[in-house]
Amino acid sequence: MRRRVFLGLAGATLAMGFSTHALAQTEAWPQRTVKLLLPYAPGGATDAIGRPWADKLSQAFGQQFVVENRGGASGMIGTEAAAKSAPDGYTFLLTPNAPLAVLPSLRKTPYDPVKSFDAVGRVGDVINGFVIHPSVGVKTFNEMVEYAKKNPGKLTYGSSGNGTSTHLRLEMLKYKTGIDILHIPYRGGADTLNDVLPGTVHMMNEPVSLAHAKAGKLILLNVNAQVRHPDFPDVPTLTELGITGADVPIWFSIFAPAGTPKDIIAKLNAKMIEIAKTDDMKAKMIAVNAVVPLQSPEDMAKHLLADIKANAELIKAANITIE
Amino acid sequence: MELGGLFANLSLGLSVAMTVQNLFWCLMGAVIGTAVGVLPGVGPTATMALLLPATYFLPPEGALIMLAGIYYGSQYGGSTTAILVNLPGEASSVVTTLDGHQMALQGRAGPALAIAAIGSFFAGTVATLAIAMAAPPLTKLAQQFAPADYFSLMALGLVFAVVLARGSALKAFGMIFLGMLLGLVGTDVNTGNTRFTFDISDLFDGLGFVPLVMGIFGIAEIMHNLADPQRRDLATAKISGLFPTMADIKRSIAPILRGTALGGLLGILPGGGAVLASFSAYTVEKKLSATPEKFGTGMIEGVAAPESANNAAAQTSFIPMLTLGIPSNAVMAMMIGGMMIHGIIPGPQVMEQRPGLFWGMIVSMWLGNLMLVVLNLPLIGIWVRMLLVPYRLLAIAILFFCCIGVYSLNNSANEVLIIALFGVIGYLLMKLDCEPAPLLLGFLLGPMMEVYMRRAMLLSRGDPWVFLQRPLSLTFLAIAVLLMVFILLPNIRRARETAFQE
Repeated sequence: MRRRVFLGLAGATLAMGFSTHALAQTEAWPQRTVKLLLPYAPGGATDAIGRPWADKLSQAFGQQFVVENRGGASGMIGTEAAAKSAPDGYTFLLTPNAPLAVLPSLRKTPYDPVKSFDAVGRVGDVINGFVIHPSVGVKTFNEMVEYAKKNPGKLTYGSSGNGTSTHLRLEMLKYKTGIDILHIPYRGGADTLNDVLPGTVHMMNEPVSLAHAKAGKLILLNVNAQVRHPDFPDVPTLTELGITGADVPIWFSIFAPAGTPKDIIAKLNAKMIEIAKTDDMKAKMIAVNAVVPLQSPEDMAKHLLADIKANAELIKAANITIE
Repeated sequence: MELGGLFANLSLGLSVAMTVQNLFWCLMGAVIGTAVGVLPGVGPTATMALLLPATYFLPPEGALIMLAGIYYGSQYGGSTTAILVNLPGEASSVVTTLDGHQMALQGRAGPALAIAAIGSFFAGTVATLAIAMAAPPLTKLAQQFAPADYFSLMALGLVFAVVLARGSALKAFGMIFLGMLLGLVGTDVNTGNTRFTFDISDLFDGLGFVPLVMGIFGIAEIMHNLADPQRRDLATAKISGLFPTMADIKRSIAPILRGTALGGLLGILPGGGAVLASFSAYTVEKKLSATPEKFGTGMIEGVAAPESANNAAAQTSFIPMLTLGIPSNAVMAMMIGGMMIHGIIPGPQVMEQRPGLFWGMIVSMWLGNLMLVVLNLPLIGIWVRMLLVPYRLLAIAILFFCCIGVYSLNNSANEVLIIALFGVIGYLLMKLDCEPAPLLLGFLLGPMMEVYMRRAMLLSRGDPWVFLQRPLSLTFLAIAVLLMVFILLPNIRRARETAFQE
């Protein structure tokens, strides 16, 4: 008896679901929990930026935005999962630039960075720069370049691995200034820091090092972002140092599986811009060394294309290969 | 640090840790930790990942106290399954299976569990004091280690693995190399190339340690028991005495002290600290013992030393995280994530800017250890009764939890298939009298050794002498060579084999 009632109800719901499907999607979205896929293991930078956003979006829409960490294979596994999700406005990808703007130029990815996704908007740009160990004896960016020119190949730089965004940072520096620095790949920022703090390796370029620069254990030479870091008002950007086209920060953005209804994307983007303007969100982001540029979905899509092109050129110029 | 300052800090910590809320979160963490430690496959990393979003809504002190509780709670719980059903819940309790499970088979599961809990508590207390008094200097010590030194330390660790094997040294070497080969699967850190992955993206990060252990220990053990009814009855038949005798305790005192010291030191090093600690504590006991041939047959020293060592290491692994913001293992990375969610950037400034948080967490560690020993000693009676559960039910329960546990790690069904595969491999190895412990050590240390070696060579611009020029590295290598000579000297080997055959 009970089973029959249940089946009847289920049938009715299904029928209703079909007739009002399109309408429900566009007008009353979101009606249930929305999933934010993060393509990295919990506890990393993507979490630090993504979780405050999930929290604020949940409050703004009155539906839970749930973070799901799907780490592995340099972000490819989670990104692939997002690409293959239903484009119904209930699954989104929150990712840094690497899986979309870097990896496809280096290896075969199980998704297309442009065709598999529709851009929604940016959630944070990381303000960051090169730090150097005081034992080297240089205090500014220009002194470092001079030192490297006098002692080619003597300085060492730790990255988060071959072909990662942090490796590209070094290649960009070498490419723009013509200096020679030895690249030492690590498993991640914290792993690198372990050798940079005692001076075994001289330089790195990751947010984890900023706390140590603040404590005076390392020297921040520059920032590679459009703006200076509020905690380091005296440290110039690369553009200010006369090196153009290199202030391209690591960005974090939300993407939807391709084919997600345009009005859902517009609705989400509008709310994101609203949230990004609040002092609370600005404070939360600067705590993790990020600022939020306000962007429409179209701007974001253009930005991604430009970034893919720039990275591909750099990878080619620096002759970085993986496979 | 001067003593007055230390007391002021500890009393500040007490005032934070002793609030009703924080005591509650500490207890919650300890209980959850014990539970996930006991459940095979469900480890602290997966649990903390699941609970991380929930801690977003707690004050930062409560959140970190609970997360820390889960970690050291699981170290207590992990030894329970290692002893009872020969299934290490954690990498660091692999060696506990060697003698712990033998004790259980002889009906002495109670004393084994009790000594593990008491040793862990003692080690936890000492290590907490060490953190409070000497965190900054100890961090400096760990920073003396350059890549070349790590390489040599890992090489020494692998030689330990041969010593700790019971049977033929040749088979132990074989297992270490097999383990190292399995460790090669995945992405090569230096080039970013993928090795032996057959384009399966689940393999890009290498074979997981948990599926490997679950397969080789858990599934293989079940197959072995089902194939041999006599062995199966043995495990569930007799239970004599829940608590250790005076003689047991007397025999355990020195191993606990040595294990604590060794674990406390090795725990500070990033990477395999806790694992190396438990393996080397076991090896040291075996070397010092008057009856080394009896190790592996249910010696209480073989439980006391590694269990103290892994708990001491678990505590001191907080040191680099707290003082430098550097995670020494996956769990510490999770703790850092927990801090960052609350807008606290881990690093040297935490101690100065948030002294309440810093000292509160340290004091809560000791309180948590106290809670755990109070919680775990009475539980021993219940755990031991688990052995009375008919094996046909127990086997299914273990299988069930292994599968759920492994699936919950990455939501990946392929990893469940990996356990099945390694179950079969583990069964074959057991039939061939090849011990799995050296294989696991090779699997864990091999890839790390490769990374450190290549890094050291990069930094030395290709000069291999770097391994002999650094005093630390040279010392480790010298000890490793000495140990090897001992193993390979023919007369010693002969003595070893006759002893084993008795």
